[in-house]
Amino acid sequence: MNPAYFEFQNAVKLLCGQDALERIPDELRHMEAEKPLLLTDAVLLRLGIVKKVHDVMQAEGCVPAALFTDIPVDSSLSVVNRIVAFYREHECDAIVAVGGGSVIDSAKGARLVLSQERDDILSISGMENLHCGRHIPFIVVPTTAGTGSECTGVAVIRNDEQAVKMEFLSPFVEPDVAVLDARMTQRLPARATASTGVDALCHAIEASTCLQSNPLSSAYSMAAIKLISTNLLRATRCGSDIDARLAMSIAATMAGIAFSNSMVGAVHAIGHALGGVCHVPHAEAMGILLPHVLNFNLPVAADGYARILPEMVGWDRAAVIPSSQRGCSLVQAVRELLIQLHECAGIPLRLLEVGVTESQLVRVAETAVNDGALIVNPRAMSVEQIVNVLREAL
Amino acid sequence: MTRLLQKIVVAIALRLLHAALVELQLLDCTMAQELQKLPKGMSFAIHTGHKAPALTVRWDGRRLQRVIEAGYAAQCTLRIKALAISFRLFTGQMGLAHAYAQHALTVAGEIANVMRLARLVNRAEAYLFPPFISHRILPELPKLEVSPIRVYARIVFGFLKSTYS
Ligand SMILES: [Fe+2]
Repeated sequence: MNPAYFEFQNAVKLLCGQDALERIPDELRHMEAEKPLLLTDAVLLRLGIVKKVHDVMQAEGCVPAALFTDIPVDSSLSVVNRIVAFYREHECDAIVAVGGGSVIDSAKGARLVLSQERDDILSISGMENLHCGRHIPFIVVPTTAGTGSECTGVAVIRNDEQAVKMEFLSPFVEPDVAVLDARMTQRLPARATASTGVDALCHAIEASTCLQSNPLSSAYSMAAIKLISTNLLRATRCGSDIDARLAMSIAATMAGIAFSNSMVGAVHAIGHALGGVCHVPHAEAMGILLPHVLNFNLPVAADGYARILPEMVGWDRAAVIPSSQRGCSLVQAVRELLIQLHECAGIPLRLLEVGVTESQLVRVAETAVNDGALIVNPRAMSVEQIVNVLREAL
Repeated sequence: MTRLLQKIVVAIALRLLHAALVELQLLDCTMAQELQKLPKGMSFAIHTGHKAPALTVRWDGRRLQRVIEAGYAAQCTLRIKALAISFRLFTGQMGLAHAYAQHALTVAGEIANVMRLARLVNRAEAYLFPPFISHRILPELPKLEVSPIRVYARIVFGFLKSTYS
């Protein structure tokens, strides 16, 4: 059945594949930008990944006007405000963000503040409440394949004061251009490859089964799940497999487009709270929570999960499973994938492994219940039910 | 249905919603606990469309007061994109979660506050609408702690005494 109403938007231009990085200067010229700010983090700078981007930009006659690298693993509102001040101080006219979720979301936050001509990101918090503002040319180069942030209309940024992750939702958060180049993810360690890939899987599954799911976002989700199920283990086991790397980048982007248009669900609501309260890395929280939340949602989402199963395990295997058991089988297939990733890359499967203690669970649940992603979860969740799910995952 | 009639229905529904929240604070422990969790001074505004009715309430730590002051800037403003959608929302044709899912709302302020407001509204709606409607529009039917008839009786009495103005 079609949804009573839905919206779908994706205006991000994708540069994907061979020599994608080399095309950045041309895109900037099209947008009449001459003084881009290059945003990244210290780790990527040390690994030489930023130099690669810097060099190709320079070679094509587009030298970044300034470089900002002071973005921590868990970006915060204050970091975003500092980027805004830095951009103005150096009189930049565009942003090129190179990094994972934290860098890209910080850049999105800063770009939003700049385009709204404000100083503080908190002054523009909300959902679909902003006008388009001034156009700030914005290019993102993801260095992980998971967040999908390069194609989403949301920025998730930590509020240190309240120990929560805040969501800023606006179509004007979307970058102008996203660059998928396998050279950017090739050196990603196995554990990060696995966990960020699971984040993408989570986006695709939640986007296709939540209350906001729609036919277009589901099409993106299904294609992403198929790519992830065939390429995530390959990319994790053999990082130099360019084909698997690029497939995972494409999958993450497609899953990002899906959830940008249909939101996520309880895995993300609880995951954001685990990040806010206990500093659990987002992607690792996703892998730990995913099977437990799927299990919780199963009574109301079994049909949706059954539709995903063939993409996850292949049509041959799915066809011999009775239709009444396909939802359950999806949860099992996800568990199997996570165990394989745990064995080959060491991703955590329990909250205890990432330092979460029993005493923190109620606070996590009380934070999660106020997360916007929870409202579209297929099954309503109370604080007590969230605590139970967290206990199962402990 | 004419726009004027929709405005009248929505205006009545908003007043009814506020009255229900006030009464349920006294009758329903879960509602009272939810309200007590709000920071003192927290304010919500609901706008239902262009030149359409609006409701602003402020939690003063003891009671959810209706704010009638023009131009009051609430900490969390929920704007429903069109009166026709508000009409659906307040006549039990659509739940708040579905309105959210259908991009029918914009929010100015922290999204966490919308979640707080949604829980309050959902619980009030479980009392105000008959079960067959609540079942359709609410994510889950909550266990009611008192009879809806008692809630309606207190609301009628409250309006007669001008308690909510
Ligand atoms: Fe995620």
